[in-house]
Parts: sequence; C-alpha cells; structure tokens
Amino acid sequence: MKNIIKNTFIILGISSLAITSCKEDILTTIPNDRVSTEVYWRSDLDAKYAVNAIYSALDGTNLFVLDGITDIGHTNTVFTVEYNIENGTYDASHSRIQSEWQNLYRGIFLANYLLENVDLVKTASNTAIIDQYKSEARSLRAYFYMKLVALYGDIPLITKNLSPADGLKIARTKASDIWSFVDKELTESSSLLPLTYSGAEKGRITKGSALALKARAALWSGNYATAATTAKSVMDLNVYGLIPEYGKLFTYANENSKEVILDKQFLAGSATHNAFAFMGPYSQKTSSSSFVPSKALADAYPMKNGKDITDPTSGFDPKSPYNNRDPRMKFTMYVDGDLLPSGVLFKPIPGGGGADEIGKTQYNTTTGYSLKKYVSSEDYGNPGASGLNIILLRYAEVLLTYAEAKIELNQIDQSVYDAINLVRTRSDVGLPPLNAGLSQSELREAVRKERNIELAFEGLRLFDIRRWKIAEKLMVGKVYGITYPTGTSFTTVELPSVVRTFDASKHYLWPIPQKEKLLNPNLAQNPGW
Amino acid sequence: MKKEIQTSNYSLPVTKVKFQYLFIVLTFCTLSFVHSAFGNDHLKQKVIINLSNGILETSIKGKVKDENGQAMPGVSISIKGTNLGTQTDITGSFSLNLQNGQNELIFSFVGYETQQFRVGNQTLIEVSLKPDVKSLDEVIVVGYGSQKKLTMTGAVTQLKGADLVRRPVSNLQQALQGQAPGLTVLDRGGEPGRSSATLRVRGITTFSGNSSDNSSPLIIVDGVEQTLFNLNPEDVENISILKDASSTAIYGSRAANGVVLVTTKRGKSGKIQVSYNGYYASQQSVNSPENMGLEDYMRYQQLASKNSGIAIPARYTDESISTWVSSSDRDKYPLPNTWFQTVLKPAPQQSHNFSISGGNDLSKTRVSLRYLDQDGIAANYGAKIREVRINNDLSLNKKIVFSTDINYRFNQSYRPFSTDVFNRFFHGTLFAAPKYADGTYGLSPQGFNPLMIAEKSGSNNAETHYLFGNIKLSYQILENLKFTGQVSGVMNYIETKAFQNAFTNYDAVNARTYSVANNTLTESRDRTTEITTNYLLNYSKSFKKHEILGLLGFSEIFSTASTLNAYRERFYNNSIQSISQGANDATKNNGGGEYKFGLRSTFARLNYAYDNKYLFEVNGRYDGSSRFTGDKQYSFFPSFSAAWRLTQENFFEGLPAFNDLKIRGSWGQTGNQTVPLYSYFASLSQGSYVFGGASVPTFSQTSLADPTITWETNTQTDIGLEGQLFNNKLNFSVDYYNKRTSGILLALPLPVVTGFATSTQNAGVVDNKGWEFSMGFRENSHMIKYNINGNLAINTNEVIDLKGAGPFINSSYDLDPRYIVKVGLPFNAHWGYKTNGYFQSASEIASYPTIATGTKPGDVKFVDLNNDGKINADDWTMIGNPFPKYTFGLTSEFSYKNLTLNVLFQGAAEVDTRLSGALSEIGIFEGFTHKLVTNNYWTPENPNARFPLPRKNDQRNVNTSDRLIIDGSYVRIKNLQLLYNIPSLGLKTLGLSTAKVYVSATNLLTFSKLNEWNLDPEADSGRGTYYPQTSIYTVGLSLNF
Repeated sequence: MKNIIKNTFIILGISSLAITSCKEDILTTIPNDRVSTEVYWRSDLDAKYAVNAIYSALDGTNLFVLDGITDIGHTNTVFTVEYNIENGTYDASHSRIQSEWQNLYRGIFLANYLLENVDLVKTASNTAIIDQYKSEARSLRAYFYMKLVALYGDIPLITKNLSPADGLKIARTKASDIWSFVDKELTESSSLLPLTYSGAEKGRITKGSALALKARAALWSGNYATAATTAKSVMDLNVYGLIPEYGKLFTYANENSKEVILDKQFLAGSATHNAFAFMGPYSQKTSSSSFVPSKALADAYPMKNGKDITDPTSGFDPKSPYNNRDPRMKFTMYVDGDLLPSGVLFKPIPGGGGADEIGKTQYNTTTGYSLKKYVSSEDYGNPGASGLNIILLRYAEVLLTYAEAKIELNQIDQSVYDAINLVRTRSDVGLPPLNAGLSQSELREAVRKERNIELAFEGLRLFDIRRWKIAEKLMVGKVYGITYPTGTSFTTVELPSVVRTFDASKHYLWPIPQKEKLLNPNLAQNPGW
Repeated sequence: MKKEIQTSNYSLPVTKVKFQYLFIVLTFCTLSFVHSAFGNDHLKQKVIINLSNGILETSIKGKVKDENGQAMPGVSISIKGTNLGTQTDITGSFSLNLQNGQNELIFSFVGYETQQFRVGNQTLIEVSLKPDVKSLDEVIVVGYGSQKKLTMTGAVTQLKGADLVRRPVSNLQQALQGQAPGLTVLDRGGEPGRSSATLRVRGITTFSGNSSDNSSPLIIVDGVEQTLFNLNPEDVENISILKDASSTAIYGSRAANGVVLVTTKRGKSGKIQVSYNGYYASQQSVNSPENMGLEDYMRYQQLASKNSGIAIPARYTDESISTWVSSSDRDKYPLPNTWFQTVLKPAPQQSHNFSISGGNDLSKTRVSLRYLDQDGIAANYGAKIREVRINNDLSLNKKIVFSTDINYRFNQSYRPFSTDVFNRFFHGTLFAAPKYADGTYGLSPQGFNPLMIAEKSGSNNAETHYLFGNIKLSYQILENLKFTGQVSGVMNYIETKAFQNAFTNYDAVNARTYSVANNTLTESRDRTTEITTNYLLNYSKSFKKHEILGLLGFSEIFSTASTLNAYRERFYNNSIQSISQGANDATKNNGGGEYKFGLRSTFARLNYAYDNKYLFEVNGRYDGSSRFTGDKQYSFFPSFSAAWRLTQENFFEGLPAFNDLKIRGSWGQTGNQTVPLYSYFASLSQGSYVFGGASVPTFSQTSLADPTITWETNTQTDIGLEGQLFNNKLNFSVDYYNKRTSGILLALPLPVVTGFATSTQNAGVVDNKGWEFSMGFRENSHMIKYNINGNLAINTNEVIDLKGAGPFINSSYDLDPRYIVKVGLPFNAHWGYKTNGYFQSASEIASYPTIATGTKPGDVKFVDLNNDGKINADDWTMIGNPFPKYTFGLTSEFSYKNLTLNVLFQGAAEVDTRLSGALSEIGIFEGFTHKLVTNNYWTPENPNARFPLPRKNDQRNVNTSDRLIIDGSYVRIKNLQLLYNIPSLGLKTLGLSTAKVYVSATNLLTFSKLNEWNLDPEADSGRGTYYPQTSIYTVGLSLNF
C-alpha cells in the first residue's frame, strides 16, 4: 500500500510536467498568415484594397509578347512556347492560349468579387467613393473583356461570380453582345469617374481612361461612329496631350505624363517587372532578347523626309540603312552601332565580333534588332527589377483611333489630317505632315502605317492585323532580319527553320482552350479548330 | 551412492576496461552521469547439479564449441527426462555419468539454439552450438508495443540494426533498400547531407506526386514521429515495417502509407561494453557518359544543319572541322563535352561511432557518439554530421522504470550556390575548355561552364540542429496491468545561408564573359517543434488456454513551425557574408511565416489467442485533427485480423518438417491527413500594387476553401501465409494485399472562368494490389555457416476514379517527361506518342500523316492512333510506368572460420525511364550528344539505324514518345562486404573482446539497359541533372572492448 501511494506520487509528479504544457486547444489552430473572408468587407479600405487587386491583372511585359508573335516581331528562341503561335503550329492545348484566357478571367473574377461585395460597406457618407470604385472595377472588367473577345471571339459573359457548378456549364455569348456590354459598361462608368487623380491615387481609371477604352473597343468592333465621337470626347476633355519627346515617353521622368491615359504602374524595389532582362540584348547583363523586332518593322519606318525606303527617291542608302530614318525607329529598337546602356555598341552582324553577334549564343537576337522601348538605361543597374510604368493606352492612340474611324466612315476632313500630323510632327519625331488631298484608301494606308510604327511593341499590333484582316498576308513564309554588307553585295539574315503559316479560315481567332472545353461541354469551339 | 558434482563458482570473464579509451570517450561528451549508470555487478551463477547414481553408469566426456569453433564455457547440459546435468568449464569441456537408459543430452546456452544430442555408444563427444538467430520467441515491435512473432496476425517485416550497417550509408533510407518486401526505396543519387531517397510502402496511394512526402510512410522512432533520414544507423536496434491495416490502423490518420517503427539501442544489464565502429570510404561516380568523338560530332552537326536546311555554322564547315580535329591546342579548339571526366573526382567519406553501454538492475545507459564527414564528388559539395545519443533507463523500484533519452545532431551540408552544375554537364556547355592554365574558365557559346559554376558561384550551406528529448515512465500497477506515459519533444532548426558570389570570368580565347554583377545573400531560419504525449495502459491475462492482451491509449501531438528569411545584396566583397553588410536599401527583403497543427487521438487494441492456435486482433483509433473543421474534424479507423496456426493442430503432427505454419488475414482502414494546413479557411491574400509612385496593398481571394475537406481513406485487405520449416532453418512468408485509397485530395480543375483553376476536394480513388514473398534459409555447420534471404514484391497501381475530372497531364511541354493521371492507368504513367520506326521514302511520307511539315526520310513516324489523319495530342497514349512493378532484394552471408562474406543484390523490373533534355535531343540543340549515337543515325545508307535523321533546331523527332522510353529494370550488387573477425588470441592484451575489419563495395555492378547510356537505373526520368549516384569503396573497423 505504501508503495502504491509512493508510486502514484511519482507518476503524478512527472505527469504534471506534461499536462501543464496543454493549455490551449490543440485542435483549434487559427492561421495568422492570411486574412479570412469572414472578417473582410468591413470598411472603405477593404473596398479600396479589393479594387487595387484588380489592377494587378492588367498587362505588363505581356504586351511585348503579343507584338512579338506578329509580323513586326519574332519569338527569339525556338523553345519559347509562343514560337508555335507565331508559326501557326499551335492548337487548343497550347499553354499560352490557356494562360491568356485564365489571366483575363481572373481579372474578371476580381472585378466581380468587388462588385458583388462592395455594397456591404456602402453607407450614406461614402456613396461617391464606392461608386468610383465600382466604376473602376467595371472599366477594368471591360478592358479584360475587350481583349478576350478580340482574341477568342464568342466567350462566356460573366458578371457575377460563378459557383464551380455553374462554371462547368456556362455557354458562350456572341461576340457582338460582348462588344455591346463593353460599350455600355464603359459609358456608364465614365460618368462616375473623376477626370484626374491627385498624387498617391494617380494611375487609377479616370473618366478619360474609360472613354479612351470605349473608343478603342468601338474601333476594334467596327463601330466607327462611336469610335470617332468617343475619341473626340477624350480629345475635348483637355486633360491629355502628346508630350514633345517620343524618345522619352518610356522613361521614369515621363511617368504619369499628360500622354498617359492608362498604364500598369510599377515601382522599383517593390512592384517590378523584368522588361530589361526580358527584352534587352544579350550583352546587357545576359538579358534574353525574348522577342525581337523583325525586318518588317524596321522597313516600315520611312525616311526622315517621310518617304518609304522602297521609294527610289527616298534617299535610302543600304550602306547606312539606319541614317536619316524616322527617329522613332531608333527610339523603338536597337540597331547596328547603337550605344547600349552598358556603354558598348550594339554589334549584331554575323562575324562582326562582340557579344551581340547573331548566333553567338541562343539568347542573342536572331534578327539583328533588339527592342529599346522600356529597355531603359536607367534599369541597367537592376535589369530584372524595373519600376517603369508600362503604358496600356496613350493619347497618340486616341488621335489615331479618331483618324482611322473618320477615314473608315469616309468623313475625311482637316481634323483627320490634324490628328495624324500631330503624331507625325511631334518635336523629336519631326516628319513632314501628310500631303493633303489623299484618297480614303491612301489615308487608310497612311493611318495604319502610322499606327504600326508609333505604337510598335505596345501590345496592339496583333489586334490590328486581325481586324484589318491582313494577317493572312503578313504571317506567312520566312522571317527576316538585318541586311548587312558582305563584300560588294548585301546579305539579309534569313531566320533558320522558321516558316510561318496562317490559315485565314481559323487563325483569326484563337481556339477556346482545350482544358476549358473538356471541363465544360457547353463551350463550342471556334471554326477550324 | 550419491555423487555430488559442484562446478566451481565462476563469473563470465570481465574485460578490463581500458580506462584510457573510456577516458577519451567520456571527455568527448563530458557527461558525468554516464559514469554513475555503470555498476560493477558481475554476473554470478552458481549451479549445483545432482546426478543420481544407478547400477550401470557410463562415463562420458565432451567439449562444446561455438559457431566459430571457440570453446564455450558455461553451457548447461541436462540429461533428458531428468533434472540432472552439468555445465562446461572454462575450456568448454564437461564430463558426465549416464545411467542405464539415459542416452540423450540437452545442451543449452543463452542466445544459442538448444540442441539435443543422442549419445549412443560414444564416450567422447563434441557438440557445436548455433546462435539462435531467429528463435521461436522472437518479439516484433508493433505500434505502441511488441508482440510475439508467432502469434502476430498482421503483416510486419522486422529488420535488425546489424543488417543495416553493412554498407556506408550516410542515410538510413538507403540502408533499407532491398531489405524488406513491400518497401520500395528509390535512391536518387548521393548528394551529401541531402535526402535523395524516397520510401513507399505498397505503392503510391495519393496524388501529390512521386516525390512528395505525402506518399511516404509514417516514421516513428522510439514512439515519436521523427525522420528516418539522418538517424544514426549505428543506433538502430531494429526496424519494423508495418504494412497491412491490421498493424497500421493503431496509427489511424497518419498510417495510410504504412508505418516504419524504429527502436534505438539501449543499455543492457551486464558488463560495460565499449565499442568503436568506423570506416573510411572513397566515393566515385558510377557513370561517366561520354560525348560523341570530336570529328564524328562535328560531321554529325554539319549533316544536321544540312538536313534542316540551315546554313552550315562556321564551326562545322569542312575547313573548320579539319582545323579543329588536327589541332593539338585544346584551349583554342576544345573537345565538345568532357564534363563528366573533368569535373567529377573521387571523394572521401569517413565515419566514426563510439558507444558505451552497460548497467545493472537499477540503471542502464547507452551513450553513442557519431562523426560523419562526406566530401562531394564535385567541388564544394559535402556534409558533416556530429551526433550524440544518450538512452537511460532508471528503475526507481521494482515497478517503475523511468527512461530519459536525448539525441542531438548537428548536420552541416554544403553545395555551390548554383544548383545548375549538373544541368550544365549536359546543356549549353559545348566546346568550352574546362579551365585554362591561368585559372580562368572556358565559356561555351551560351556562356556557361559547370566547373566554373561549382567552383565560383558561391555557397549554399545548411546547418541543421536536431534535438530530441524523451521522458518515459512505465509503472507495473498490477501483475497484469501496466501504465506507460511518455512526453517527448523534437526540435528541428535549420539555418541556411546561400551566398552568391559576384565575379567575372573572362574567357580570353573566345572573348566571352560571364559575370555576376551583384553578390547576394539569402538566409533563412526554419524551426519546427513537435511535442508528443502518449499514455498507454497495457493489460495481459492468461488463463487455461486463453490469452488476452489489451491496450488503451491516448495521444496528443502539437506542432508549431516558424520560418524567417532575409535577403540583401551588394556586399563589400565575397568574403563579407554577414546579412548586415549588404546594401541597406529597397533591395533588401525579408519574409516568414508561422504554422500550427494538432492531433488528438484515443486508440485501443485487443488480442485474443486460444491455445496459441486461433488468434484474433481488433484495433481502433479515433483521431481529431486541426487540419479539418466541423464534423470532419474527428474520424475513426478500425481494423480486424485473425490467424490460424496450422502447426498447432493435431492433424499437422504428421508433417514434422513444419515448425510453424500460420495463415492470417486482416481488414482495416487508415487515413492520410496531409492536407495543406488551414485549407478550410476561405481567405484573402495580400499583395501590392502601385499608384502614383507609392506601393498600395491589395487583397484578393486566391483559392477556394472547402470546409468539407477531410481525410483520405485507405481500406486494405491482406491475406498472408508464413511458416518455418526444417528446424527453423527455412522460413517464408507470402502476402496478398488489396488496398483502395478513396477520397484522395485532388485539385479538381475548374473552368478558369470561375476565377480559380482548381478546387481541392476528396475525390480520387486509387487501387494498389500486390504480392509479397520472402524466404530465408540458414545453415550453421561446424566451420561454415551461411544464410540467404530473398524478397520479392509485386505491386500494381491503378487510378480508379477521378470524379469525372481529368485526365490530368502534368506537362504539355514536349521535350520533358509527360505524366498522366487517368482512370484505368497507373498513377503518373508516361504519356506520349507511339512510334513506328522511321519514314523511309517520300512516298511513305506522302501516304501517312506527319507531325510537322517538311518531314523527310529518316524522321520518326509517329503513329496516328485515332486515324484522324493528324498527329496531335489526341494520339497520345500510355508509353510507360515510372514506378516499378517488381522490386526485389537478396541478401546472403557466408562465413568460413573467421571470414564472412555478405552480398546484397537488389533490383527492380517493369519500370520505365524517359530520357529528356540533351540525352534525348541528341544534338538538335546545343547539348551533350551521347557517343552511343555515333554512326548509328539514319542516313540513306543506314536506314535501319537506331537514331533518326540528324536535325538542327527542330524538335520534331524528340517529342515525347515510346522511342524515348527506356526499360529501367535492373539488378545490381548493391553491396559486397568481406569481414575478418580477428581471432581472440592477442586481443585480450589490448583489452579487446572482438575486433573485426572489413572491406566493402557499394553499387559494385549493375545490370541494366541504362548502362549503355551511362545512367543510373535508379535515377528519375528527366534531364539527368541530378547529383550522380556513387559507388563507394570502404575499409572499416569494428572494435569491442
């Protein structure tokens, strides 16, 4: 008995050590590394943070990829997935076809999430700001829809967040209805948005952003009358204008300038992109020239006198092909002999020596050109982490939209010439104004060319060559690069094993992604896929 | 007349402990209490035997020897049918008088088989005793206890620690390879200090992948969940592998993948044992693939360019080829690829283990110390382990035993900053000189050099502090009732420091530069702490022919983890590596997190045996986990099993060959709770965006939360037959199992129009079925003894249900292995095209669909499986299975006198490997091209070549297809050890009781189709970018004082 008492005492003593450690309920572990939906939607700030999240879904360096798979660009390495899209050898299972769709619908989800919940924090006193947030969300959602409908045609129209079950059966809405929806959304939200923002709010959607997007949507959808009047209304806001120097548009100094209507904003050290490392020449800290300009873009730049280089009277000299050209050429791309941010010269000519020589590494430019827009010498110190804002819509586009819409409407007047000439005669561009008295088709040609070179590698070319139905002519055959002297003659770089094909009966639209179609039998496929 | 024989009082020879050795060891650990645990209690034995005298007496003499022919003192000899007998003296001799009719003697000695001997007419007899390796009383460690092997009803394989230390493994997972049927160990290379082996018990049961820990068995060391990796193999007493649900269900929600129980060595009563085990080894890469020869390769590249219609690059013109080939200046004209030959070098490895153990009735202690130092076969790889373990048992009184164990391990592992070294053996490093005389490195056109990366890129060091502390108390409350309480803590603390050097390498020969502008430092601190509390109540009762065992238990586990990391860059130079010395600006960065997890369980087991013949067992565990919520938080896992020992039946007496034969069967359920923590919380993630040059917060929902998420459930049926024959010389077991895992957590893809790509649900069902065989035979004759143990496991895996979703294809990138999870196929089957040789003519091309335009004779003919006239993803099919169907091992040991030879064969069959990257591209891009391709590619003159038409920058022929699948079956001599037991003569003067020296070789010889590729068959499919598998040659010494 004594022993039992003693033993029990020993055991109790030791067990108490263990038991004192069990204070909290070990089965209720509340995470402290995330914010639960249960506690969200309590204040204005919650609404603001949820709106901010939608902006994250905007395009950044993605713009370069979109242009890189058009006639004016080239996917520099064969193992980059977009190579297949450029070549016309892709199908519905292509990862890019999936990811573009996914990112855009993710943006739409974020906008819908706000629109569904934001009224929870609406009070009598914050109606104006909540309305503004809603309008920002609706405008951004319209931006995502515009891109979707232009890439894929008919698409599911989702304005409220779907349950997984509903997501498995939603059908496509006709493209024309999507365009109407976009138009309505932008019209309504533009009326509730401020003209400008001050300081720390700069970069949010303004009235002008919504209207400019509306003009772009109208142009893309062929609704030229709306495009013209809306573009005009942006011009009449007297908020936006061209800055004098095209060459400095894509620098830190001109962030939030009067030319910028919508951009994706970045900040060195916190929210960055890798435009420099992604697009810069190989010699610049082994940047990867992922997408490079092609001969098609280089040749599109006229001489400084406004004449095409194919014009025998233009003064084009194949021995010095980059002299006396439209200055936008050298603002947009690095060409042979240009000074690079590192202080060395860009020397792509095969056999010429130097780090950027074509073929020297698999990352070297294959065309002999390399993008300069956004490859800013200011980012040379930190090529993987640029804080430069990427412009999604700027005033020059509005001018050219206005001009193009008026030309298509055949309402050609001085305002059309003025719009185009404003762009051509910007102070550091300085091309001669267009000759007066051009025909509708001549003007159409002129505005398209202007748009191409003014907005090159800003993410619009793919949509332009689709809506103009010229991709079937441009996106076929071999891809070429620089022309350089070899002895007494000239050699033009012909890219090995690239032969583009374009089937006009199907390639004007991307296919609905295979994964999405497999999950949802109600999704019909585009013709030809 | 009565004769009284009294053998002299004697004691077992007590080895004089050489105090200088003890002193060294003790100062090593400065643990004073170790000393107190050692008493000087000599084993005393006093036997008085009466031998009654009859009318007729025969006087006999004899001698008893052990298996090594050494005299055995103290062996008990009794005359059958009497209580009379004697013992052998110090020389192993005895004498006895036998009465009329007494003709059989029984010899017995602890640890040896009892032997009966018929005297006949002999008066001088000699008997040799055999060690009792596998006595009928063998006890097997099972969940929360142990059971007699004979009366067990579950499928458990137990391994002895001694069998696991025959080869110099730095990692206990590797030591288990080939040892137990149903335990598949995939050993993927030998990078020092990092775990590269995965364990699977009876196949793959969940979808989180081949490599994920979610399919790994639960590892319990001394009653507490720990990791197997890094556990000192010398500390292991035994390892039990619990396979069927009857043996695993007691671990409930964590047992779906099987359970591995490790018991560490403890001190025993008796003399103090001091031992040293150490070895020195040399590691070498098993394989060294070679590139095609210089001229062959250049001509091949020239042809490839021609075939693809590309201008021939300057290097591969006829003129350049002849310059290159004839030059003797290999700095200017380097060979295409020599990395395996120039970067890898033999590397030493050494290990030292000291242990002291001993004790008396009051206290028992074992202390062990370990030092392991392993260099890498490439520069700047390596690992060191220092470890101490102290296991104490203190008997407070006759009823209470108090145990305190401590294990501390300090593990350092090093690697270069960039893990790109082995990738660059194959990719993007052609025609670079490894190193010039001035110390600079040659650079390939892509600007790389693996030697430079290994030597210059910087360092990535991990230092792991592992601390395990355990207190355990057992209290024999009543004769039949015992209480055990255990509290233990495990802390794992990892500091990693990855420093990237800033450096510039200028390759003057080629005017190429590789430079890293900024040096950077990333440091992290990861801590995991887990407290386990177990309370057990054991009951045992026998009456008449009934035997009952009962167990009731309660267990709690609470785990917390935290992580912290920091980043800075631009340090003054590469030697200044303290985080505070990096640039103090916006580039600095830090992060971290905190996690908690709890598990509360009650469990019970009841065993009932009738007459040792009919055996029954019921297990149940009720688990509650913090990973789930609401009514999903708790779940119950039951199992039932029964066995029938046929040899106990009367009708079996006619088959005396059988010592034991048992049929057993079990059914039960277990769970897998490895759901990501907090997955039922719908939550918003913070991010950031920028407005007007200032960062602003964003909040967005990034995943769907499902409060109904619960355990994956594993239902398993097992039928087994096991037995021992011919005086227990032969043993065997056969098991058939059928295991269904349901409710497998599956990230079901959602249409992304919902805003989410996946939703995690309990949706999948997978079956694993298989057979396991093991058989062992041993023979101990006078001089020679040997034993052979073989095991074979057959596993088939099939995905049964994906809830209408899927198939899931992990990658659509054509150049790498592509796996599919599809109903009706094994988990993660290889997925790709079937091929049908090469197109041989233009007309053949015209009449059959091709994968790309411009197909030429010599290009691969992919099969249009669905006959739609197109070669596309719709033609993909299963082309291989990366998980072996058959795994087997064979260990055999032969001893002759003082020599012992130990051989382990091990292998797998019906397993497929998919080569990728440079290995499969054979020169299409800028990668390594195996010499196997030399003159064995398609040309019009060689239309039946093994490899297709050479092409450049054109991947049409290397899309994932059956052409690139290689049969990964293999058999290898995993280990061969020759051990010499130094005879005792002369040892005693050194204070030694035994001394053994051995040599061994690991991965000595491999038979595999991958040999021709110079690849290791255990390697994972892919680009061969892993640290190479090594073969290890060892010299070892084992001393006991």
